[in-house]
Amino acid sequence: MSIKSKIINVGIADIKVGKDTDVLRTTLGSCIGIVLYDPDQKIGAISHIMLAKDPTGKDMSKFPHKYGETALPILIDMMKKEGSNIGQFSCRIFGGASMFKGINSQFLQNIGEQNILIVRKFMEEKKIPIIVEDVAGNEGRTISLYCDDGRVLLKKAGMEKYLYKVR
Amino acid sequence: MLKSKVDEVLQDVNKLPAISSVVSKVLEKLQKPDVNIADLAQEISKDPAITANVIKLSNSAYYRASKPIRTVQEALMTLGIKTVKEIVLLTAAKGILAQDLNSYQLEAAQLWTASLLVAELSSKIVQHKKLKIDKDLAFTSGLLCSVGKIVLAQFFSPVMMQLKADLKNNQEPFPTLEKKYFGYTHMEVSETLLKRWNFPVDLTDVVANYLTPENSKVNPLLTSVVHIASILIVVSGIGIDIGGESVPISPFALSQTGVTDADIETYFVHIPDLQAGLADLLNV
Repeated sequence: MSIKSKIINVGIADIKVGKDTDVLRTTLGSCIGIVLYDPDQKIGAISHIMLAKDPTGKDMSKFPHKYGETALPILIDMMKKEGSNIGQFSCRIFGGASMFKGINSQFLQNIGEQNILIVRKFMEEKKIPIIVEDVAGNEGRTISLYCDDGRVLLKKAGMEKYLYKVR
Repeated sequence: MLKSKVDEVLQDVNKLPAISSVVSKVLEKLQKPDVNIADLAQEISKDPAITANVIKLSNSAYYRASKPIRTVQEALMTLGIKTVKEIVLLTAAKGILAQDLNSYQLEAAQLWTASLLVAELSSKIVQHKKLKIDKDLAFTSGLLCSVGKIVLAQFFSPVMMQLKADLKNNQEPFPTLEKKYFGYTHMEVSETLLKRWNFPVDLTDVVANYLTPENSKVNPLLTSVVHIASILIVVSGIGIDIGGESVPISPFALSQTGVTDADIETYFVHIPDLQAGLADLLNV
């Protein structure tokens, strides 16, 4: 990491954009981290969603970054605002661990899976390629996106590795 | 097995995380029924850092004092003894919990945020389900659950390779691996620490059993509340460590508390809102 690097923490139900020497970081359980990166302009973004859809329909207007259905269009808009349009960036997705063993609720058991599905569907509709997926299981993941070259440092279950694929 | 080395540390007061003698004395005084406010204020005022935090937090949006507070005595009179005790413990806990635990793959900010969230969610569950538990006690119990990890983290390096290999095929809760490699789970170490600090027995019982609430002997209801809160915070990814989501929610905890699947759904969705409300405490 260069001395100039600025670490930007992406909280739960949050979206952040960075460029050049910025490092975007988030930690995921059953939530999904959607990483967009434009390798030519060195612009990146992470959206950390909790659920695919708002189960009540009342919360998403107040907290749009919490739900895939409202967060994903905002994520694209934020990339556009920085000067990166669809066609210039690709997508990588992380997280979606499945938990809530011993609970009968379909909703709770399927949080991770539903999150993954909505991201795949959205990216397919927008013709944004998903080039890396590290999802499901029961591990926590910390991901750091280095905007200088788009590599992602993935930490999970005692392991750390860099993923360099950006196109 | 590193048990003998962990034993050595647990027996050596100088090697364990320390808690200010002022905090111990305040807790001791509070366990007596005839506690005197002036006496308590004098004790707290002996520690300048704690005094500063008590006054700062008493005036924060989180505690919503009805008038500006300038002294510990005013804090005790305006917010009450229980709330000031909570602030004193919070300050002490921050001093111990805000550190990087690299071997657990946990950063200081994450550990502190997660500890506070488990505390706050425990308190909210007590209120939401109208349980007969003091909400401040629930808060404090939730706050201290991870403290044992601080001691175990220093023993990871020698067993890291084997532990990682085991972790890959592991189907059991992570504390089972802690027990296998260190001879102790972090819950057992937390219990030892809290006893060393002279914390009351209902608190030591919760930290000792919060991942296995069915084993709680002193207060299974409180332990169940903290159990549910801690699992939900892990699932949200805040403070999730090397153990991942390996501990399922205990059906015992659900039946004790009456927490339903719908309640869990609501608590989970509102974790970010809960975190936003804790801004003052996160920056103690």
